[in-house]
Amino acid sequence: MTILYLVLPLALVFAGGAVAAFVWAVRSGQLDDVDTPPRRILFEDERVEPPR
Amino acid sequence: MAVVCQPSTRDAPCLHCSLPVPAGRLSRFCCAGCEVVHDAIAAHGLDQFYALRETAAPAHTTDHGYIELDDPAFHELHVRRLPGGQACTSFYLEDLRCGACVWLVERAPRCVPGVTAIRVDLGRSRADVTWDPQVTSLAAIARHLDRVGHPPHPYRGLEREALRRREDRALLIKLGVAGAAAGNLMLLAAALYAGMFGGMSLADTGFFRWASMCVAVPALGFAATPMFRTAIGALRAGRLHLDLPLSIGIVAGLVWGTANVLRGVGEIYFDSLAMLVFLLLVARWIVLRHQRRASTAAELLLSLTPSRAHRLDGGRAIDVPIEAIVPGDVVRVLAGEVVPVDGELIAGSSAFDLGLLTGESRPIDVGPGARAHAGTLNLAAAIEIRATAVGEATRVGKLVAGIAAMSAKAPIERLVDRVAGWFVVVVSSVAALTLLGWSVTSVALGAERAMAVLIVTCPCALALATPLAVSVALGRAARRGVLIKGADALERLATPGTLFVDKTGTLTAGKLAVVSWRGDLDAARLAAAAEAGSSHPIARALRAYAEPWGVATDVREELGRGIRAMVDGRAVLVGAPPWVRQRSRAQPTIEGWITELAERGETPIAIACDGVMIAVAGLADPIRPDAAAALHALDQLGWTVHLLSGDDVRVVHRVGAELDVPRARCHGAMSPEGKVAAVTAAREHGPVVMVGDGVNDAAAMAAASAGIAVSGAAEIAIEAADVYLRSPAIGEVVAIAAGAQATLATIRRNLRFSLAYNIVAGALAVTGVIHPLIAAVVMPLSSLTVLASSLRSRAFRS
Repeated sequence: MTILYLVLPLALVFAGGAVAAFVWAVRSGQLDDVDTPPRRILFEDERVEPPR
Repeated sequence: MAVVCQPSTRDAPCLHCSLPVPAGRLSRFCCAGCEVVHDAIAAHGLDQFYALRETAAPAHTTDHGYIELDDPAFHELHVRRLPGGQACTSFYLEDLRCGACVWLVERAPRCVPGVTAIRVDLGRSRADVTWDPQVTSLAAIARHLDRVGHPPHPYRGLEREALRRREDRALLIKLGVAGAAAGNLMLLAAALYAGMFGGMSLADTGFFRWASMCVAVPALGFAATPMFRTAIGALRAGRLHLDLPLSIGIVAGLVWGTANVLRGVGEIYFDSLAMLVFLLLVARWIVLRHQRRASTAAELLLSLTPSRAHRLDGGRAIDVPIEAIVPGDVVRVLAGEVVPVDGELIAGSSAFDLGLLTGESRPIDVGPGARAHAGTLNLAAAIEIRATAVGEATRVGKLVAGIAAMSAKAPIERLVDRVAGWFVVVVSSVAALTLLGWSVTSVALGAERAMAVLIVTCPCALALATPLAVSVALGRAARRGVLIKGADALERLATPGTLFVDKTGTLTAGKLAVVSWRGDLDAARLAAAAEAGSSHPIARALRAYAEPWGVATDVREELGRGIRAMVDGRAVLVGAPPWVRQRSRAQPTIEGWITELAERGETPIAIACDGVMIAVAGLADPIRPDAAAALHALDQLGWTVHLLSGDDVRVVHRVGAELDVPRARCHGAMSPEGKVAAVTAAREHGPVVMVGDGVNDAAAMAAASAGIAVSGAAEIAIEAADVYLRSPAIGEVVAIAAGAQATLATIRRNLRFSLAYNIVAGALAVTGVIHPLIAAVVMPLSSLTVLASSLRSRAFRS
């Protein structure tokens, strides 16, 4: 079970990374509005003329 | 132009609003307004709107020009300059309801050249607009938004919102940290529990315990700071708060767990503690979101009050923002508009409705030289006013400033905090007794058991009991159109006490109508014909009462007295009795009727035909049809209802008699100060709720234990109230009172459940049969019980 001594800290580092990503997302305002974006993904994209 | 769609019997619904198209209308639309909106949408190739929308309520547009948005004074206040010459501002948009509205508004750059981007925030009804001032003007953008059915209003609460956003983000980060810690600690704990049964080397166990400690102590120390802070604050203020036993439990768990990890023996409770902190923060976050929604909706209503005035510059009226008016300016106020400044009437004559300001329901006739106050409604005709005071210097402004100071209510002692007080005492004495009792055997054992008592009785479910019950109630109430601004308003409303109801606009419609008629009924139709061209409120009431009969010619209106006209060759006089009496032959029966109506608190209007008085109309503010049932239901719930009005005593007595309110509880001719005094006096005997709509009620609302503002209330009344009703139905007040009582009943049930769990867990801890595994199962289980009990609440269930 010696592998635990490597895997467990590694797992906690990953978890720490996830928390850091969450904190960054909150600080940059991505979770300020949780009502509009889930609707916005349903909109059709604007048609863009293909470049010649 | 507000679009009103008439329902009818034809099958095909309107292409835009889906209401039935009126019979006989040769169009696919129910009205011209819908056709205009549909054309505006189609002209820009935005037809996808009709596929995306979830509701099909009638669109609402105005034909306003919005030129005041291009005034430098407005830009100074509301527009930010961006590098690169772009400008940026925020609007509140009306009627933002679903994804289709978002889509339609965000396609504005395609429709208005010069608009760089529009981002909509649906929850806050807000749109951030970025545009190039060189290419287009803000007024053009506003006109476009108006045309597609979302009239824009300046967004005034930016600073307040920045503050809220900081709070929300801080809580969300703590929530995330606590959630991550809870998840990982549970994994570690699962390994430890498995090891307990399967056999695990001492070194491995120690490693897992150390890892748990390294996660738990910093993460919980950070995430639980809001609770620690409230607990310390409450201790300093000498009050009891639920966060105190919570903090004791959390700190005891962290300290004792750390000590046990360092010693290498003894139990640790990190996983249960992390779950507890996480659940508490989730509950707080949910309640906060509900409160934010209610306050956003209330603020949107505030921004609907006029922010523009028509200023006269060299004889021409131009629209400017209200902030640009200075004393000495002359403003024009059209019929149906609110007077924006304090000043002197210099041209025109009209009638004022002082209802919002004084509670007086009868219109007051005014002519040149009269004083005009900001906040009064101009009813009859366009007038010109020279401003003497603007903004905060006006009478309303001063009143508002006074109320803002009063609105800061002392926090009430919540039920759960009272329980928490007992809880702290009981738990700490049980812990002390455990320590003493077991110390007979061994001091170490005593300390171990006492700590276990402190930790396992940490009142998680107790702390969830209130927020869960309240958030269920707030959410359901908001769906019914009842906006509750604060969670503790529900608790304030739950104990029946004295309920003061304002009369004008709350129990009554707030508009004059003919309520009784004495004499020839055909005279009503003559009177309606004579008044056909007038926009005076009395004329409107007469027209609403009877169909006009014949055409009036040679109409002469004498303001404040009456009107004379020729209707089909007959000379008709309609007006105040003394004025009509001078010009016609009096009759004893008619005189009797006039006195009778006046004594009942109605406004008598005499009608004469060819020099003979033939009829009397009694005008009054009619009582809303649901008022009597509502007051009866409130009485059943245990409230003592009082009427409180600025109106004449006789009028209040008449309304009281019709609604079965004893004369002793009808208070008339009350000034705003008098209302506050009545509320303050009643507060000595118990909770007081004030229901009203006017500026004159706002101070009383702030002074009461809870204020309820009804639909159409003045800006300051919405600010001062704890609850705002979107519908004009007074019956909703009953729903609030009943809902508050049901919520408190749910809270009580939750408290009983969670206390039962704590007694069981505490007993196990004292006897020493508790184990971290049992704690890990019992704590979430108790929280789930409380959650289920909250969802079953009867509060605001329709």
